[in-house]
Parts: sequence; structure tokens; C-alpha cells
Amino acid sequence: MTSRTDQATQADMAARQGLIVAHLAQAGHGRAEPPVLQPADVFLDLAGEDIRARIFLTSGAEGEELCLRPEYTIPVSRAYLASPQTGLVASFSYLGPVFRQRAGGANEFVQAGIESFGRADREAADAEILTLALEAAEVAGSGPLKVRLGDAGLFTALLSALDLPAAWVRRIRRGHMRGENLAALLAPAINGVGADHSGVLAALEGVDKKGARALVEDLLSIAGISSVGGRSAGEIADRFLEQAAMKSSAGISADKRAVLERFLAVSGDPDKASATLRALARDARLDLTAALDAFDARLGFIAARGLDVASLAFATNFGRNLDYYTGFVFEAHRPDGEPGRPVVGGGRYDGLLRRLGAAGDIPAVGAAIWCDRLFADGVKA
Amino acid sequence: MSTEIQKLVLAVPSKGRLQENANNFFKRAGLSVVQGRGARDYRGSLAELPGVEVAFLSASEIVQQLATGAAHMGVTGEDLVREQLADPASKIEILTPLGFGHANVIVAVPEAWIDVRTMADLEDVAAAFHARRGARMRVATKYVNLTRAFFAANGVTDYRIVESLGATEGAPAAGQAELIVDITTTGATLEANALKVLEDGVMLRSEANLVASVCADWSPAARAVARTILSRISAEEDARTSREVRAFVPRPQEMASEADTRFGARALFGFAKDGPLRLICPAKQVAGLSEWLVECGADHVSVSALDYLFSAHNALYEKLAARIG
Repeated sequence: MTSRTDQATQADMAARQGLIVAHLAQAGHGRAEPPVLQPADVFLDLAGEDIRARIFLTSGAEGEELCLRPEYTIPVSRAYLASPQTGLVASFSYLGPVFRQRAGGANEFVQAGIESFGRADREAADAEILTLALEAAEVAGSGPLKVRLGDAGLFTALLSALDLPAAWVRRIRRGHMRGENLAALLAPAINGVGADHSGVLAALEGVDKKGARALVEDLLSIAGISSVGGRSAGEIADRFLEQAAMKSSAGISADKRAVLERFLAVSGDPDKASATLRALARDARLDLTAALDAFDARLGFIAARGLDVASLAFATNFGRNLDYYTGFVFEAHRPDGEPGRPVVGGGRYDGLLRRLGAAGDIPAVGAAIWCDRLFADGVKA
Repeated sequence: MSTEIQKLVLAVPSKGRLQENANNFFKRAGLSVVQGRGARDYRGSLAELPGVEVAFLSASEIVQQLATGAAHMGVTGEDLVREQLADPASKIEILTPLGFGHANVIVAVPEAWIDVRTMADLEDVAAAFHARRGARMRVATKYVNLTRAFFAANGVTDYRIVESLGATEGAPAAGQAELIVDITTTGATLEANALKVLEDGVMLRSEANLVASVCADWSPAARAVARTILSRISAEEDARTSREVRAFVPRPQEMASEADTRFGARALFGFAKDGPLRLICPAKQVAGLSEWLVECGADHVSVSALDYLFSAHNALYEKLAARIG
């Protein structure tokens, strides 16, 4: 039985949630209502098997795996892709329950949010989504929030300007997403490059791709292995070449390592951070101009929408633990909130729609508001 | 009706070598599993002990029945316990390993992947595969939960699980998956399918265990029967792993105390005035103990096997009692 005060709280919560969607709709983002039941495959493909333990799985009449939506970005993106508006500029707001498995806690949470697709003026769109989401939270009575910013695009630009071997880029990206520190990332001789392979690696010295492939094919035929499951001899050869490159001096030089360290230490006032990063790029003779221009332009749009840029905390090492973010990312926390439980979170995910089946990348940026986390006395979500 | 409810339900495997081994195990403890009228009857009893209902189930059903409390005790593999229960300790208590049903849960990749020897290699290759193909590497297995936990512990994230309920080792050749997580006893099946186990890819070394449910209805009658079963099992196991050693020696009491510290041999039946010193000794220590007794002045030492060794103190039952209060 719900008590009188619980009922009052629930009514109050519903009213506040109504204010959020009304504010988003007023700004021109029509309401999307994607189905609660979603194909599980999509979430498992995008987020990996780890998410299996955190979503509610069920199956359809024909044995297909379904799940209760654990969030809105993917369902709204799928609805957009299935609509005639695909590829055009369109934006949506949403409000409703999402479902996640949690040991000994609530499993159903109310999320509101916005997703914006197809806008080529990326920095203006980033600024609009950030400020609109913060306004909506404020309209619902969130009180002051601490906002953190990051930029996955800057890190990508740096890795590409440093011209590192592909294997290193993969490793650094993976580690960065998991929040590993740079020392762990750059530790030598992991990835199983041990004495066992040194013979092969030595034989590959100075060999080109074609030669490496021939060598691997020879090795396989000597060992009497005819079928190569899943990966081609060429892929195996490529990996040996990468390993050889990582092992030799073509790995990460002290200079490049120092640049990575300096880069990942930058944090604080966004405008000052931008200046620091420009100086770093100049010193290291790296061209980060395009990425930094975009960064500055975004700050300009944010300021133009009335937000005090100096009050936002930027950090180069701030990322959101989802690999579909490709650019701007942000989170807003209550001052007394628990870490890892933002009230507002979002970012740019230009690659997601292609991964969901679009012919190419479609610019996209969005934000979600955890309604249950808005107030100190709210349900712990 | 009420007598039915008070019976202790003992779940045992319903087929194959596991069933044979489980029956032999109970037989050694002097308990004969009797199946109902035909091989198709799924309920039975223990010939020597009333108050027990034997349920013949598949090994994975046994885990479920123990977890829900529908069975009090059962014989099943540790692999299934760890796969099926998120928090095994909250539902069941593993009483003792049984020495049969040995099998390892392993990660195996195609032999042709000559660049992949360890989980760290796999992590790197999985990430490259994902980046190159836009799809994640597929792992065929029936051990979904064990795989997820083991891969996460090794930092491997770029993969998808393809559930496979039979002939998993054929999945890579059939193009259904790139690698597998499966149970293996000899490795011959893997070899026949051109697969190899990663050096650090043994996820679990499993064997059959006697497992008790923590959530079953442990009525006084059920407890009493459990105590009897476990004391017979202990009596047989203690007898099998012990020997009785006899010899006439000078100063038997001093010798007994030293034999205890040196060999774990104990004078369980005291000291007879005119008889020889009788020690119960761990089987492995028998040779050492006998040589030492001769050195200390014994002319002859006799060693005999025991059928049963019952004790007032029963470690197996105490383990269970500690959990069911």
C-alpha cells in the first residue's frame, strides 16, 4: 500500500517530469515513443556481452532475443532510421521508464531526454543539446549541478596526428575507455609478445605484407593445418607484423609518450584548457587545429546560450564508458550526488547510426536526464 | 501424504557414466540406489535407508532443484553450479568432491591462429577483429555466465556469445563461431576439430561434488536421514584413506604420541594391557610409520585395510549443519 505522502511524492514527480518534456517540446523536439521491447542483439552488439547481466532479457514467439529497453538513445535512433526522415534533420524528446538489472535495488527508472540527428552544424547542435538538457533539469527543480565536459574527437585527432602503429592506437583507445592510466597503457610486451613468437617475429624483419602472408601460409602448411577458422592467413600475418612493429623501435618513442602524458593531464576551465592544448600542439609540431577550432566554436555557442563557460569543468581524460561516443561528451552531477550516477549525461555519437544500419555516418547528439536522481529525496536510481 | 513430504530428496544423475559413478559412490558407503520399476522411472529409493526419495535428473536440473530447495542433497558438477547460480554460496553448500566426473572448462581457438597463445593475445585479436569487420568475434558455448565472468576478468570485451547446446567444438568449423568455451576431459575432441586450448585458458577444473541445498525444508526427519547418509559416506571415505597398523613396541603410550606428530597416526582404540599397539594411520603414511616402528624395536608390523570407520564427530554433517542452523 502506498501512503499518503508517497502518493503526494509520486504526483509531484510526475508533475516535474511533465515540466521536463514540456520544456523539450517547446524547444521544438517532438515526442518519440519507441517500444519498450527491443531486439537484444542490437544492445549486445554495441555494448558487448557485459551488458547481458544488466538488461532484462526475454524471447519472442520465434525464439528471437528481446530485451526491455535499458536506455533511449538506441531505440530512438532505430525509430529514426526506420522513418522516412532518415538522413534528414530531425530531433526527438522522450520520457518513460528504462529497465536495468541491479542487485538489491530498483530495476525501473524514469528517463527523459533529447536526440538530435542530421545537423551538419555540429558545434551549435552540441551546445544546444547541453544547455537544453541542463535547462530542463533546472525547470524540474534540480538545483545547481556540477557539469563536466570531455571531447573524444580531440583524443582521436591527437592519436592520428601522432601517427602511431594501428595496434597501439587500438590499445590506447581501449585502455582510455576503461579509464586505465597511461603507464598501464604503454607498458611494454603485453599482448602475448613473448619469447615464443620471437622466431616468427625475427623472420618477419624487413618483410612486406605479401611476404609475411606467404610465411604464415608456409608455417600453417608445415604444421599440417589446412582450415583457418574465422581469420585469414593474411590477418594472422598482419598481426605478426604489428607485433613486430610494436616490439621494435617503431613502438612509442619517448617524445610521443611525453606528448600523450601532457595531453591527458590537461583539465579545468575549458577556455584555458584550449589555450594549453594549442601550446602543446605547437611545441610538439602536431596539427590539431581543426579539432581545437571545433572545440572553441562549441564553447562560443555554449556561451551564446547563456551558460558560464568558466563554470564547466573540462578534462581531456574525461570519457563516458560507451564506445559509441565520437566527440563532445558531458555529465552533470548534483553536488551531493554519488560519483558514477550523473543526473544528466550525453554526447555526440556520429558513428552509431551507421552501426545500426544507415548507409553512412549521420551526425547525432543527445542527452538523457535521470529523473529519479534529480532530487536528494528522490528514489535512489 | 505427510510422510512423503518429510522424505529427504536425493538428486542423482539419470544417465551415463556420471550415473554409474554416483551409484558406485553410494554403493561403497553401503547405500544401494534402487530405481523404480524400469529404467524410465524417475523416482527411486535407497535400499538400506527408508526416508529417502531418490530423484533421477539431468546434472543441470539437479543444480536447479538444489537451488530452489526441491531437493535436499545431490550429485552434480562444479561447472554447472558456477554456471547456473550467480551466488552459489547463498543457495547451496558444496560438501565434498567425489573424485569422478573430472573435466575442465576451457577457452579454445583454431589451431591455425598461431599468433594466439594467451588470453592477452585473444583480447588484442578480438579488438582488431571488431575494428576490421565491424562485427564482434563469436564465442560458442553453453557456459554463458562463466564465459562472461572469465573474459571480463581477462579484459576481453569485444565478443558475442552464441549459445550452443551440443557439439560446441564443431561450431568454428561450421562457421557459427570463431572460438569456443567448452568442457573437455581428454582434449581429443578439440584436436579432431583443429582447436587448441589457450595457455591460460582453463577457466575451471571441475569434478562431481556432493552438494546440499541450503533452502530445502530441513525437517528433523530430513536432518536425521542426512546425518546417517553423511556418516556412512564419511565412514567409508575415512576407512578407504586409512589403515590399521599393529605392532608390539616398548612404551606404547609415548610411541603413540610421537606417531601422531610424525605421521598423523592415532591410537583411536586406546591401549590394551597385553595386546599390540593399534594405530589408525593415513594410508599414505603407512610405509613411513612401519619403518619407524621397526627402528624403535618392533619385530613385526601388520597393516590392514578397514571397511568402515564410523566416528561420533562427522565433518561432512557439521559442514551442512553450520549452514542450515
